[in-house]
Amino acid sequence: MSGMDAILHGGLQGYLVVALLLFALGLATVLLRRTLLLQFMGVELMLNAANVALLAFARFRGGDAQATVFYLFIIAVAACEAAIGLALVIGLFRHRDTTDSDRAASLKQ
Amino acid sequence: MFITFALITLLGALGMLLQKNVVVAGLCMVATFFGVAGLFVLLANPVAAALQIIVYSGAIMVLVLFVIMMLNSHQEEEAAASRPVQRWLSLALLAALAFGAVKLVLSSGGLKALAEKGAAMPQAMTLQKAGTALFADHLLGFEVAGLLLLAAMIGAVALTKRNL
Repeated sequence: MSGMDAILHGGLQGYLVVALLLFALGLATVLLRRTLLLQFMGVELMLNAANVALLAFARFRGGDAQATVFYLFIIAVAACEAAIGLALVIGLFRHRDTTDSDRAASLKQ
Repeated sequence: MFITFALITLLGALGMLLQKNVVVAGLCMVATFFGVAGLFVLLANPVAAALQIIVYSGAIMVLVLFVIMMLNSHQEEEAAASRPVQRWLSLALLAALAFGAVKLVLSSGGLKALAEKGAAMPQAMTLQKAGTALFADHLLGFEVAGLLLLAAMIGAVALTKRNL
């Protein structure tokens, strides 16, 4: 399989292209949207893109179990990040009455 | 099958980027997570697919939608300042990054060799294999992950509670 064929039928390159585009869309969400909740979702998308690339490499290296273990660690850290990130958004909303990252640009109240 | 799940994933992500309503954007994110879970099944890794659905499409989705409803911020707020230069610059840089990276992946000889060498479908990942690798080789990492989750739990309570 090569080139277009790999993309259409799930060769290694196809999975990597999907991971790259997912990462780019997540980064675009973080950069272009102003709502903190949406930016947080963009970060989750970028983490997912990394997972897709990791498990794609594992499958093409003969189904390595280590990759699944690292995937487990990645989602544990992602779950921590989700809990703390959303708690920070709630904290910001309590103090400033906004979830817009542009309106939270200064450290002073 | 691959192209179906890839399209679900990428269209969900695109919908999230473009959607004005935050709740609908959250549901687009869930579609993306399901698409990624489908990709994991195609990668002969049903364990990761199940974890993806339980943790992302389950727990994190509930958390995100709960916070959206709690803050009652369904629409994006009006922009405090429109920053056209920064927005177009970031868009151009992103397009360049994505285009360059995709071109690099498609032209890489090493990746092509790896894809041909590992083309045969490996045996599907089982919970037993993943569990053995986890507890035999990464016991310390497992304990640290548990400690991290505990710290995050306490931190989230401390951050959101008004009077501790």
